[in-house]
Amino acid sequence: MTETFYEVLRRQGITRRSFMKFCSLTATSLGLGSAFVPKIAHALETKPRTPVIWLHGLECTCCSESFIRSAHPLTKDVVLSMLSLDYDDTLMAAAGHQAEAIIEEVKKKYKGNYIVAVEGNPPLNEDGMYCIHGGRPFVEVLKETCADAKAIISWGACASYGCVQAAKPNPTRATPVHKVITDKPIVRVPGCPPIAEVMTGVVTYMLTFDRIPELDRQGRPKMFYGQRIHDKCYRRPHFDAGQFVENWDDDAARKGYCLYKMGCKGPTTYNACSSMRWNGGVSWPVQSGHGCIGCSEEGFWDKGSFYDRVTDIKQFGVESNADKVGGTAAGVVGAAVAAHAAVTALARARARPGEDQNSGEK
Amino acid sequence: MSVLETQGFKLDNSGKRVVVDPVCRIEGHLRVEVNIDSNNVIRNAVSTGTMWRGLEVILKGRDPRDAWAFTERICGVCTGTHALTSVRAVEDALGIQIPDNANIIRNLMQLALQIHDHLVHFYHLHALDWVDVVSALKADPKRTSELAQSISAWPLSSPGYFRDVQNRLRKFVESGQLGPFMNGYWGNPAYKLPPEANLMAVTHYLEALDFQKEIVKIHTIFGGKNPHPNWLVGGVPCAINMEGAGAVGAINMERLNLVSSIIDRCIEFIDMVYVPDLQAIASFYKSWTYGGGLSSQCVMSYGDIPDKANDYSASNLLLPRGAIIGGDLSKIHEVDLRDPEQVQEHVAHSWYKYPDESKGLHPWDGVTEPNFELGKDTKGTKTRIENIDEGGKYSWIKAPRWRGHAMEVGPLARYIIGYAQNNAEFKEPVDKLLHDLGLPLTAIFSTLGRTAARGLEASWAAHKSRYFFDKLMANLKAGDLNTANIEKWDPSTWPKEAKGVGFTEAPRGALGHWIRIKDTRIDNYQAVVPTTWNGGPRDSKGQIGAFEASLMDTPVAKADEPLEILRTLHSFDPCMACSTH
Amino acid sequence: MLSQQDMLEAERHGRQVRSIYVYEAPVRLWHWINALAVVVLAVSGYFIGKPLPTMPGEASDNFLMGYIRFAHFAAAYIFAVGLLGRVYWAFVGNHHARQIFRLPITNAHWWSEVFFELRWYLFLEKQPKKYVGHNPMAQLMMFFFFTILAVGMLCTGFALYSEGLGLGSWADTLFGWVLPLLGGSMQVHSLHRLGMWIMMSFVVVHVYAAIREDIMSRQSLISTMISGWRMFKD
Ligand code: HEM
Ligand code: HEM
Ligand code: NFV
Ligand code: SF4
Ligand code: SF4
Ligand code: F3S
Ligand SMILES: [Mg+2]
Repeated sequence: MTETFYEVLRRQGITRRSFMKFCSLTATSLGLGSAFVPKIAHALETKPRTPVIWLHGLECTCCSESFIRSAHPLTKDVVLSMLSLDYDDTLMAAAGHQAEAIIEEVKKKYKGNYIVAVEGNPPLNEDGMYCIHGGRPFVEVLKETCADAKAIISWGACASYGCVQAAKPNPTRATPVHKVITDKPIVRVPGCPPIAEVMTGVVTYMLTFDRIPELDRQGRPKMFYGQRIHDKCYRRPHFDAGQFVENWDDDAARKGYCLYKMGCKGPTTYNACSSMRWNGGVSWPVQSGHGCIGCSEEGFWDKGSFYDRVTDIKQFGVESNADKVGGTAAGVVGAAVAAHAAVTALARARARPGEDQNSGEK
Repeated sequence: MSVLETQGFKLDNSGKRVVVDPVCRIEGHLRVEVNIDSNNVIRNAVSTGTMWRGLEVILKGRDPRDAWAFTERICGVCTGTHALTSVRAVEDALGIQIPDNANIIRNLMQLALQIHDHLVHFYHLHALDWVDVVSALKADPKRTSELAQSISAWPLSSPGYFRDVQNRLRKFVESGQLGPFMNGYWGNPAYKLPPEANLMAVTHYLEALDFQKEIVKIHTIFGGKNPHPNWLVGGVPCAINMEGAGAVGAINMERLNLVSSIIDRCIEFIDMVYVPDLQAIASFYKSWTYGGGLSSQCVMSYGDIPDKANDYSASNLLLPRGAIIGGDLSKIHEVDLRDPEQVQEHVAHSWYKYPDESKGLHPWDGVTEPNFELGKDTKGTKTRIENIDEGGKYSWIKAPRWRGHAMEVGPLARYIIGYAQNNAEFKEPVDKLLHDLGLPLTAIFSTLGRTAARGLEASWAAHKSRYFFDKLMANLKAGDLNTANIEKWDPSTWPKEAKGVGFTEAPRGALGHWIRIKDTRIDNYQAVVPTTWNGGPRDSKGQIGAFEASLMDTPVAKADEPLEILRTLHSFDPCMACSTH
Repeated sequence: MLSQQDMLEAERHGRQVRSIYVYEAPVRLWHWINALAVVVLAVSGYFIGKPLPTMPGEASDNFLMGYIRFAHFAAAYIFAVGLLGRVYWAFVGNHHARQIFRLPITNAHWWSEVFFELRWYLFLEKQPKKYVGHNPMAQLMMFFFFTILAVGMLCTGFALYSEGLGLGSWADTLFGWVLPLLGGSMQVHSLHRLGMWIMMSFVVVHVYAAIREDIMSRQSLISTMISGWRMFKD
């Protein structure tokens, strides 16, 4: 009766043959012998959909909004057939204690077998009461819910890095998920928000291969975050040629020159926008004329203005950029050297008539 | 226990206290507590915003040209409207005039947001308050088809089509894994639709889920992505190039054709699916007249969608502007966002600190200093709240007031004001809907009225998109390609000090951002947001806000199933991330 | 101990011989190649962050940024290989070759020499001292503003370079860790750029000091870096 993973795949137009092929590939990649293929097939044919609990901390819900924009697979297919979205405050029918009961139920029934997807992050100041869930600090709910999870997905810049509420001075001490949950595999899917198909791509990868995708040093799936915007930007030839937009709506802007001088953070941002693009491939920030603001990078809110490449370095406490600090330093040093040279010359001139420098005591 | 009288409501906190936390199918974190008397009627309502991020604090000291990106992240559901409000505030402060094309493109983006937000709200956040998903399994697909065809010419309406959806739904339900429908209030007597209408609505729930992602492509084309498209102080970032070399990287004929076809599809979907569904559902719930709250007393709208660029006076705004107080529809008050006596925010019952909390502050002088403290009658502890004490501070939302009045804002407010102004674009659709349903004008002051206004507005916005698209094409034909004014892009051209205000009509209502700029940096930034107006707590005089008022005196069918509470709250489309920011 | 030994060596030799062989050929060769590389790096680096005005014509006919970046990377390799070679020479060369890599910070006498030099530069000492290798003050400056900084520029530079070569490349394997450590790619760019300014400040002082000492301190400097021989003028 249950629509199993196999049935789902079949309905997606996958044949029995390629299903078996998929099973044998899975067996190989898990290092299991061919004897395991029928077992895997059997498991997939009968396995219930993986429950997902989607929690919301401090956030803006735009990761959810992005998720429902997915074109392949369609969100309705993900939700109806691929996973079991048992808890998601934004979409679920139930509320209040009927909603809270679901978390308990999933934890019990699917111990170690459900995925927690976190959108937003827990604030730690004020005992966590900057984000209250059921009368308690969200951070507690988060910890409890993750305790029996198989894996955790940190959606967006909020869960991955802290995002806007963690921008200086981070009044609520909004804290990324991996700083609070330290004993579970966590996949970080940054972006503000991430691209819809990146989100569904990560989820379906995890369901299909029953493992988390290969991650880079910062815990991001390499398949989507392995390259910079700049590496695949279609305006890159203009960058290499030294052809830049110098002002909004100038001739170069209309010709689609490189946005580097308008502050484009493409060269310092890891994301899939320049190749996958947004909303079914319609466009992406650079294509629509605004530079990348680096929304998938850690702390991108505090890396200076979105309209400068040579941007502020906040470590100095004051707002200043490398050219200002460095240029000033170099200027001061230059002036000091000049002054020093002048004094030296003066001292030497004064010394000369009297005693010869070289006829010292030595 | 005590009874308090305010705004014509009697707040009685005896009786059974019912808590709903989390309130789901909204944006963000909301808690509601009500007192229910022995007849299961709500006699006291307390709405608590349970999240705060501190955007106003974070914005201090930053570059005003970056502010749009920060404020845009106030909310990903009404994505873009804060950004638009923000660039308008900065432009107002610095006296920047934007090109006409930029104004048109901004309007197209704002209208696309209205369409998208209303559609997603109706089907995915609100519908389950009226539609019993499980009952749809009992429907006869053939009769569903007849019903669908009787209300609309929408082509996806054959018996086979509905049967397929029903089969899929059946499989889903029978799998035992109900996903988002788990623990819903299925079978609750407050559900009134026949199975066929339920099946039709569920079908359109799925269709709308597919379709909504098309609407936002207007944002993607002009702003590069959605959610959170890009904006620009002084205009829009997308350049236009109709025929020159390199046009493939700019707004060109192909892009414009795509926008045009999306607008057509929006008009089609809204007029052939959304509005007919709304009307069909309403016809079954005509007798459920609750939830009016403040709407029959005090409503307000700032107005939006400037026809000509740079003119923000009421006569140039296509969405109505004005305030109604005391239910007197014959007098529309002018709203002046610069007047320190008009818009003010109070924190007597909010988790913030003011030097003097008996008074409100105009946003230009606004203060945002968090101060979490619970009232003395709170049940539970600081980190285990069982019952909140509305006598003390009890919400992360401030309490905005207009000339001291609590106001309702949103589509219904806009329609009431437009109606009262005799503006045909708003009056005629209301009269037609009421006529078709056989209802008097007073019926719009209700939960259902709010839901209906949103549907009508979605249709208005879709048609207005067509108007602005045509206007854009006329400009382009006339050779005007300008999209940005860069005269004051460089901060060295700015005055030492400046202040400005920007406003929009966000999907949920009147939105304003007040900015003070000093030495090219943000000195103070204050946002007063639709859900701040609607969802805010009591003020220093004990006046309740729109959420609380709307729940008053509503009977609930089952005290332990908050279906009616959800229904009325959802009619506002609460956005808590917005409300507290 | 070294510099004390140095000093004694100088004092002793000062009376007997007029010149000592200080900088062996590889050090001298390295010095001038390195100086050239650093200048190219700074100039090209400056224009990477703040590019020149837009080039006219088709993109395919231009490659200005490409050439500037090429110059930067080519010079970067020379700079890196040179530094490695110089480290090698620190092991096999004479003891002067080790000076810029090792500070005798536990040697109180050395510190007093540092302060002596400081006073000399502040015009508080009438007579300069003579050194075979670097004077202690110079050694201190070299260590912090050249050696450490050079390693920093190398690490941040190759970390940025690894972004172009891609995940799994040799540069990524060796230097990729720098990016998250310093707070991301943008931050590394900013710090790398700041490093350029610090290096430039060092160069200004260094060149000035070299010329000044050449004139003032009764010993050869500039020609030492060319011939290797430290000449004592009295
Ligand atoms: C004294 C040594 C060096 C100096 C003064 C220097 C200076 C600079 C400067 C000023 C920039 C521009 C930064 C910005 O504004 O974004 C830059 C970029 C860069 N440097 Fe260096 N650099 C040095 C050494 C190196 C080394 C050893 C490497 C190793 C390969 C390197 C690789 C790079 C790379 C990859 C970039 C970024 C290029 C781009 O974004 O297109 N640099 N450097
Ligand atoms: C980018 C430019 C330069 C850099 C980075 C640089 C760096 C260095 C370093 C690291 C040393 C120590 C050598 C060692 O002990 O192995 C040194 C020594 C020296 N440099 Fe430079 N140098 C630069 C340019 C110059 C120039 C233009 C001059 C001459 C006008 C110069 C004159 C000298 C002299 C005379 C010494 C020896 C100092 C002594 O004898 O104590 N340098 N330089
Ligand atoms: N309240 C609110 Fe918003 C809206 N509409 C914005 O201003 O939702 Ni997130
Ligand atoms: S990461 Fe950005 S987009 Fe996602 S919820 Fe946070 S603020 Fe919104
Ligand atoms: S537009 Fe941005 S990402 Fe594209 S080439 Fe220029 S700098 Fe790189
Ligand atoms: S701003 Fe974000 S959406 Fe992509 S192009 Fe840049 S990472
Ligand atoms: Mg505010």
